[in-house]
Parts: sequence; C-alpha cells; structure tokens
Amino acid sequence: MTPDGRPARGHEHEQGDPPDHGRARDHGPADPSRRRFLRAAGIGIAIGSAASVGLRLGGVIGPDEPAWDRGDFPEPGTARVAVLPASSYGDGLESLVLDGLRAIGADVGGARVMLKPNLVEYDPTRPVNTDPRLVAATALALRRLGAVSVTVGEAPGHRRDLHYVATRSGLLEALGEIHVPFVDFNTEPVRRVELQTRYTPLEQLWLPASVVEADVVVSMPKLKTHHWADVTLSLKNCFGFLPGRVYGWPKNVLHWVGIQNSILEIATAVRPDYAIVDGIVAMEGDGPIRGSAVDAGVVVFGDDPVATDTIGATLMGFDPERIDYLAEAGRFLGQVDRSKIDDAGEPPDRLAQVFERAPTASTEGRSG
Amino acid sequence: MCRCTVRVGDGVTGSDVAARRLGAVQNPDGGFGPRAGAPSEPEPTALAAIALDDPAARAWLEANQRDDGSYGVVDGYVRDEVATGLAALALDPGSARERALDRLEVLEGAPADPNEAIPLDVGLLGWPWTRDTFGWVEPTARAVLALRLLRPGSPRVAGGVALLRDRRAVGGGWNYGNREVLGQELPPFAQTTAVAMLALHGLDDELESEGASALRRLWREEHTGTISVALSLVVFRMREEQDEVRAARAALQPLIEDGDPLGDTVAEAWAVIALGEHVPFREAP
Repeated sequence: MTPDGRPARGHEHEQGDPPDHGRARDHGPADPSRRRFLRAAGIGIAIGSAASVGLRLGGVIGPDEPAWDRGDFPEPGTARVAVLPASSYGDGLESLVLDGLRAIGADVGGARVMLKPNLVEYDPTRPVNTDPRLVAATALALRRLGAVSVTVGEAPGHRRDLHYVATRSGLLEALGEIHVPFVDFNTEPVRRVELQTRYTPLEQLWLPASVVEADVVVSMPKLKTHHWADVTLSLKNCFGFLPGRVYGWPKNVLHWVGIQNSILEIATAVRPDYAIVDGIVAMEGDGPIRGSAVDAGVVVFGDDPVATDTIGATLMGFDPERIDYLAEAGRFLGQVDRSKIDDAGEPPDRLAQVFERAPTASTEGRSG
Repeated sequence: MCRCTVRVGDGVTGSDVAARRLGAVQNPDGGFGPRAGAPSEPEPTALAAIALDDPAARAWLEANQRDDGSYGVVDGYVRDEVATGLAALALDPGSARERALDRLEVLEGAPADPNEAIPLDVGLLGWPWTRDTFGWVEPTARAVLALRLLRPGSPRVAGGVALLRDRRAVGGGWNYGNREVLGQELPPFAQTTAVAMLALHGLDDELESEGASALRRLWREEHTGTISVALSLVVFRMREEQDEVRAARAALQPLIEDGDPLGDTVAEAWAVIALGEHVPFREAP
C-alpha cells in the first residue's frame, strides 16, 4: 500500500530482499484495472537467432506456445487512439496535449503520474529525443487534468552521464521552468518485480521504486525507426525504465535474451497506462540515433500502448502485424486489430508517410 | 541528496563543498546509496570510501562482499558484478581485497559469434556488466584498473588492454562499447574515454596518447555533465597535464556549486576524488 492509501502497483519486493528464483509466488488479486506485477510459474526460454556480439534479434516465442497464462490477461478490448496534427513545437502545445488526452478519455485525477520520455543522446543535428517542449507541455496538461504530481524520469541505455544529456538536450531547463521534478532512474532504489510472461529467462525485473509506486505511467516516445526492432515507440521506450547500475550501459543482458522478447517482458511488467508519441519531427532510416529527420507533423495519444504503437507504425508506413513484438503483444497485452481501435482524432491512414526503414530492421514489416 | 548550505569562499573550497555534501548522505550502516536515502550499495560506497578515506565505508564493503568475492546490487538471472574492481581499490590490504581480485581474474564476458554489422574481435572477452553477457568497455576498464594497480602481473591485464584497443573509436576515445555499427562510426564519449584512460595509464603509450587527445576535446563538449568532467579531471591530474587540469577544475567548480548532480552519489564521489588533495589510481593504494 502506498502512503496515500492507493494499492501498490503490484507484487514487488524491496531492494535487499533475498532472491527467490524458481519458486512460484502467490498472485495478488486479479484486478485488471490495477497494474499488476505478478509472476507466472515456470520459465519458457525464447531465444531467437544465434548470439552475435551480445545481440539477439527477433526470437518471439511461437504462437502455439503462449508465454503467458490466459487467466492473467483478459482478451484485449477496444482501444482509443487519437492522432492530432501538429506542425511545430511552438505555441499551443499544452492545448494540443489537453485535446489529445481528453480525446482518449485519460483519467489522471488525483493520480501521481510518472512520465517517461525517450531521452537517448544529445545530438543537435538529429531528432533523437522526445522534444523537451512537448514533455513540458504534457506535464502541464496532466496537472491541468488533475494529477496531484507529475514526475519525469529516464535511464538512457548507453549514457552513464545523464546529467550531461538532460542538460544539453534542454530537458532539465524545460522542466525546471515549470517546477516539474526529474528523476534519474539509474539512482533510484529498485524493486524486484516478478514477471507475468515467459519470453526470456529473466523471471523478474528490477524497476525504480517511483515507477512501481506511480498511479499512472505514461510512455512518451519519439516516432522513430529502429535498426534492431523496426520501430521504437511506447513499448520499446520501456527499456528506459530499467536502471543502468543493475543492467549496465548498455543493458546488454536484455539484448542477450532477445530484444523483442525483452520489449514484451518489460512492457508487460511496467504496463504503461497511456502513450503519447512525439511525431512532430520524427526519425527515419538508421534509427534510433543515426537516422534522419522527417516532418511527420503528428502527436499520437492512446489509452493502450499496443494500439498506440500500431497506429504509430501505420503512420510510418509499416504493417504493424509484421512487426514481431507488436503482433505478439496484440495477442495478450493490447489491441493491434485496427477494427477495434477507435480513431479519436484524424484518420491515421490519411497522415501516414512511407519512412525509410532502418538498414537491418529485423522483419519485413513494410506494407505495400 | 542533501543540499548543504556551505558555499565556496572564505577558505571553503569546491572540494570541501562536495565532500561535505557527500559525507552528509552516508547511511547509518556506513555505506552509501546511489542517492540520498537509498540503501547502501557497493559502487557508491567504494567511491565514497576512496573519496573520503572513510573507514566505515570500508567496513561496509568488508561486510557486504559476496561469497565468491564479487560485489553487486542484484543477484539472480541478472547478476551485476561491475563494482568489484572499485571495491578492491577501496578496501584495505587483506583477504577481502584478495578475494575481490580473485573474482576479477576469473570473470569474463560470454563468447559471441561475429556479426558483420558490428565489426570487432569477438575473441577478446573482457569483462561484462552482468554475468554471462558480452564484454564491454567500461566493465573491462574498471577491472583492468584494479588489476593494474593491485595485481600488475595478472595475465588478464593484457587481454583487457587488447579489448580496449579493439573497441576504440575511430580517431581515438571510446564509445560505451562499439567502434562501428552498420557501417557508421560511433562517436566517443568523455565519461567512457576517461574510464578507459584510468585503466590504461602506463600500459600502452600509443593508446593513451590517442585517448588523451580525444579526451581534451570531449570533456569540453560535455562540460555540463558532472561525472564526465570529474573523471576527465582525474585523468588529467594523473597524467600531469596542468593546462587541462586548470581548465577542467574551473569547469567542475560551478557544477558543484550549482548543487548535486541529479542526486547521483557516484558523480558526487568522483567530483570529490577529482578535487581531492591526492591523485588516486596512479599507483597502488
């Protein structure tokens, strides 16, 4: 139980608790409305292609052997996604975000919100990060909608010096101006969270306490291609919840057990409540860092990260169902079926572009 | 982390400010957490023990060593060991230090298949971030640093240097791990370059010279990052590059005066080490 009486996010353990590998744990109450960090008994190891320099691509477990227990995951229901046009990071962003959040029926009243942008690197020549102006506008909008607190946090995958990246990117300054705290997930106390899925042999993840204790988690990625995972959107963005002091810089063990498998495990454990995708200026080609800017002119809001990523991939000209981890997530975690995703904004197909794909993207996900 | 009111001036130095702020976050058990109020962990405790020459921190390290001699935060399928080298450097001579060094000598990265997208010598195993994964620049540098100073005759040192040579960025310096991916040269970073330079001191003149040249440029580009500037200052002090020492010291002072670097105990400890009276890591403690 958290200090304000809300139920904790799930079945987690304090830092310092002894590990309990291999033992099944009692599951908490099956309340699909609350985020749960429960462990399914048994381990299914899903390893794809052979390890090469610490990297395994693809490797999503086959469809005939679910890596999750049906009782833990109700059939994905109808999702709501709103694509809103936005031509720049200038005035009016807060209103835009308010419109987007209202369109998807976001409920953050009285909630402590953790907002996780995609802060990767400082490169003034490329749109690598979620734009700080949009992050700040989102924090203000969430407050306007009644959030009792909004915190922004990140743990970049290959930059130990977050102080440098957060200052040079402009994020700390943008948040400081509106008195929104920034937390370095790398230095937070960690909680051991038992996994509900069996895509990797990890069994458990170590998550920052502030993420586990948040009432609402918002994943806020950049709309980008990714050379190991086709696209990086709200599910892939969840890698950045994990602290480098546990997983390293890079978080190589997550690559070792399969990038796409890890995306599924982490996204299921964190279970973001909402996703907001910064596609005003997006990235194509050799993403997530070395790609080129593309004016996509959209911000995508969703009440289901899988559905949001489905629309995000569509906006980039990819077939979502041919992106392995996204198609797999659609079986249990969220909605990939376009007929069950309510368009609460502009029709995505009308705004879609054909992004240059990353040079070694792992699937043939391009539509058409 | 405590925002101490002490300010530079009237005989109070930047080192004093950082040291007092660091000392204020010590836990009652003698260790240091990664941020104020967090449970004690090996890496911040080891660095604080070195920075403050603190016997209570050393005692915490003695008491919290794993059975196999390693140090880490979590233990399970994911088992981090990267603090082991720093802990060895922080510990007094004795069995705990020797067991940490023994562990370093046997730990290595997992073998991997070559991948033309990432050209590097997969035969060089180095040291991993977590058990049974690939070897990377920073864990390898930390291990080589400890072995260079405390077990200079270790046969693992040469392999570590070879890995650092293989992974160096085009033009010098180090990215977090790879030299090239998918035909693109990866840029070096100040923090990873500085850590590699600490390890290499006196081991490879050519690599050191090239790395130092890169670091002189990199730390200036990344001057807003406390840990990058602090580590660079340690390197320049170790190498007795006085012009760089003066410039990096001047850059570090305002970062310290502006407050704690995101509440990061590790960054704060590196700042104290960088500004301290003695230069560690040049010779065995």
